[in-house]
Amino acid sequence: MGPSVGAWLRRLFRPRRTIWPTRDGWWCLFVVMGLGVAAINTGNNLLYLLVSLLLGLIIVSGVLSEQAMRGVRLSALTPGEVYAGRPALLGARVTNAKRTLPSYSLGLEALAPGATPRTHYLPRLPAGGERLFHWEETFPRRGRRALAGVRLTTRFPFGLFLKAGQPDLTGEIVVYPAVHPLAPEQQRQLEAAGLVVARRRGRGTDLHNLRGYRAGDDPRLIHWRSTAKTGALVVRELLAEATEDTRLVLVDQGGGDPGLLEEGIARTASLAAHLVRRGAGVELVGPGVAVPLGRGRGQLHRVLTALALYTPGQPLPDAEGAVQRETGGRLRHVHVRIG
Amino acid sequence: MALPLGLRAVTYLLVGTGVAALVLGGLLGPLGTGLVTGALAVSWGLEGARRRWRIRPALVTGVLMAAVAAAALDVLYLADSMLDGMVRLLLVLILLRLVLGRSPRDLRDVGFLSFFLLVATSTVTFGVGFLVVFVAFLVLGTAMLLLQHVHAEAERAGVAPAGGALPGPTLVRIGGAAVVATLAIAAVLFFVIPRVGPAVLPFRSHLSRMVTGFSDRVDLGSFGDIEADRTVVMRVYMPGEAGDPSSLPNLRWRGIVFDHFDGRTWLASGVERAVERRSESGRFALAPRRGRGPVVRQEIYLDPIGTDVVFAAPRPVSIELRAAHLLLDDTGAVSVPSAAARLQYAVESELEPPVPPGTRVGSAGAALSAAERQRYLQLPPLAPVVPGLARAVTAGSADPYDAASRLVAYLSSPLFRYTLAKRGTTAAPLEEFLLVHRAGNCEYFAAALAVMLRTLDVPARVVGGFQRGEWNPYGRYFMIQLADAHSWVEAHFDGLGWVTLDPSPRGLAAAPGEPWALTLYLDALRMRWYRYVINWSPRDQRVFATSLGRQARDLREWVAWPAAWPGARWLLLPGALGAVLAVAWIARRGPAVGRRPGGAAPAPVPRFYARALRVLARRGLRPEPWETARQFSVRVALALPAAAAPIGRLTSQYERARFGAGLGPAEAEEAERLVADIEAH
Repeated sequence: MGPSVGAWLRRLFRPRRTIWPTRDGWWCLFVVMGLGVAAINTGNNLLYLLVSLLLGLIIVSGVLSEQAMRGVRLSALTPGEVYAGRPALLGARVTNAKRTLPSYSLGLEALAPGATPRTHYLPRLPAGGERLFHWEETFPRRGRRALAGVRLTTRFPFGLFLKAGQPDLTGEIVVYPAVHPLAPEQQRQLEAAGLVVARRRGRGTDLHNLRGYRAGDDPRLIHWRSTAKTGALVVRELLAEATEDTRLVLVDQGGGDPGLLEEGIARTASLAAHLVRRGAGVELVGPGVAVPLGRGRGQLHRVLTALALYTPGQPLPDAEGAVQRETGGRLRHVHVRIG
Repeated sequence: MALPLGLRAVTYLLVGTGVAALVLGGLLGPLGTGLVTGALAVSWGLEGARRRWRIRPALVTGVLMAAVAAAALDVLYLADSMLDGMVRLLLVLILLRLVLGRSPRDLRDVGFLSFFLLVATSTVTFGVGFLVVFVAFLVLGTAMLLLQHVHAEAERAGVAPAGGALPGPTLVRIGGAAVVATLAIAAVLFFVIPRVGPAVLPFRSHLSRMVTGFSDRVDLGSFGDIEADRTVVMRVYMPGEAGDPSSLPNLRWRGIVFDHFDGRTWLASGVERAVERRSESGRFALAPRRGRGPVVRQEIYLDPIGTDVVFAAPRPVSIELRAAHLLLDDTGAVSVPSAAARLQYAVESELEPPVPPGTRVGSAGAALSAAERQRYLQLPPLAPVVPGLARAVTAGSADPYDAASRLVAYLSSPLFRYTLAKRGTTAAPLEEFLLVHRAGNCEYFAAALAVMLRTLDVPARVVGGFQRGEWNPYGRYFMIQLADAHSWVEAHFDGLGWVTLDPSPRGLAAAPGEPWALTLYLDALRMRWYRYVINWSPRDQRVFATSLGRQARDLREWVAWPAAWPGARWLLLPGALGAVLAVAWIARRGPAVGRRPGGAAPAPVPRFYARALRVLARRGLRPEPWETARQFSVRVALALPAAAAPIGRLTSQYERARFGAGLGPAEAEEAERLVADIEAH
């Protein structure tokens, strides 16, 4: 039986709800058992009647709590970017999809491994109503992190049993490395790397090419000498101005000091964020990691994702070469030591 | 402050219900009731002061320890029984919680402790009052649990301060529905929980009242006291009667038999009692059937009236009761020493047919032994006028039975008057009744007939029991009051045996009037309570199950598949299976309305891309949940450089197909080719 079949079977047979007695619920169950034994021993029908009463209460409690949870949908809201060490806002939307019946006494438990869950209480959710809950969560380290999840709970109506739905928001999230403002030495390192002249058309001052005039060309760019020589209008094409496009190169494997690795990753992430904010293109190269040149927030996410998932010792020998081929080596290089 | 106040009020009412249950069960006397009520009132009044108190935990512990010690002393030395001691301990704990406790948690504990008051009561009572207390407790308990839950949840989540508002009308309706549903489920569970033995009646050793007239001796006129009492003491249900039991003639409930008369008092003196043991079938066989009259089954529910006599329609042939043995005397009277066993029993009796008019008998008492004749012909010293009167009334009689009939007619004539009025005891009450006052209750009539028969050499005895009683049409049973206590005579004639003769003209006495319909309803409720709750037994469960099975069979026949579709019967099984699966699927899926809040579902993944994903997955490359298609393609290009170009192009196609305007035929063909390229690499 393959793992997918196993997962399917687990999903199929996974109970929709879990139910667990509260302290009062345990008392109730113990009393039912004690009275049941007494009723059997004595044959006293009034004791049977009291046992039936308690069992009836338990059953009604189960039905009403199911009614409270039935039709209530929970959809998770996760933030687009989560940075290590920085509080992130997680949320969930609770919707009562029932036509007529309200739901009472719902709890939204934000689970936390090894800690008491934070509970948001909803005394009443009318039919068709919707409520949004949010809470802070701080992930201390970068990488792929499992979310503890949230679940709907209720002790309705008598507080004898805690009924809970299956946890939602249980997937994984990629936590980006911590991003800080650049330190002065990083600024200096970046400035020392200088600017790169772009070998493409642009709005700089140096001459890139001469070509025939086309409608719409700026008349100020007409090269009069060539025009006089050829008898046809010739215009200048200029080189683009120098850019800050940067290749961030991770140096070393990072398998030694974990502190140094994390510091290097955070510094690289901060550099990438800084450069993207300034409109520069960023490329990331390192042992086992290569993100081709790009710019904008999308590129920043790609770089940060690669940095978040970076693990030391990943063999990918030609990654840098592949990227080099694509960009043609026209980038300034900033080396960050991670080991 | 509405919610805490409501919670307190409901909790106090709950305790009040528990106390009422104790009173009902006789576990709390008037003094105790007054003390507890006063303590509850004081506790309620102390609410304001309680908020200002700073109660040290050590004080609470000390008080609790003192209470436990006092309860131990109570149980060991003071209480009548351990139950009494435990009830007092419970009350003390409840009152302490109410006085010292300040949180809603304490009120909840008080509610739980009150439940045990109900449990204690259930062991000592079986009155229908318990049903009232039970329902009241259910209503109040549900309200308390609901209020407590709302309060505790709000406090736990800090949603509302302690002084929240009472629940709205919808929640009140839910509470009401919960009460009704709990009651219904409890009723069903009560009847179906398997019983492992016969029902045992909760019954304390003391009897509620001692009734005169049903002991071994009875003074003339003593029935006059109880014949004015309208208390219902016995209910007789005849389950097997197809017709109307109220039309059965000469129905009465025979109890004790008196054979010796000293002029003022009747005694059961020469009675020889034999111990009868229960047979394998659980019945006591009392007498063989003669085949003369109809056999009727009676289920008799008797309130404790302080006698060990078992009442039944004459002549009982078998009896079922919860005792290992019973006593059967030579007069046919049955008695059981165990008081609890007499509270409910079932008897089969062969009713005596009326003696046909014109019946002639040769003699009286010739079939009896000499000792029996002596016993049933015994007479006290009598004035000669009594035998003379008997002879005068019966002069010219054709036979002893004719003589007895003439005596009955004489005593039933308007010459004599039925009255319950008591008069002072005299030396010769019988002579005064016959010759002077000519008025008295049934004992005087019975004694006069028995004595006069004996003077005529006809063996006779006086029987104490109940006359038929009131027919309750709502419950279809006979409702017998103390006022129905009655005496009559049995005389022995050759060929007929012991024949019942009733000379008292009770019908001419002042009729008490028809009982109110409400009274009959309430008594029918009480009867059902005894019949279906207190005495619910494995036998009843078997009967119930058999009845259900019969009804299910009838239903099956009613919905029988048309005979014209014999082949379609095989569709039933898959159809039923499909229905079950559909219901399960709907239940699991939940209601369709408003599913997937937050917008329409995204378009499905194009088939070509899904195929490419499967190809890549076989090489260990799967898109992560956080990864876009474009990011995934870069990762694939890094891992499989040879497939970089096709995966990049395929990703563009995918984006256009899923989020753009879609693919044309040529592009779709190209996409398939790209997948093949990726697969080839």
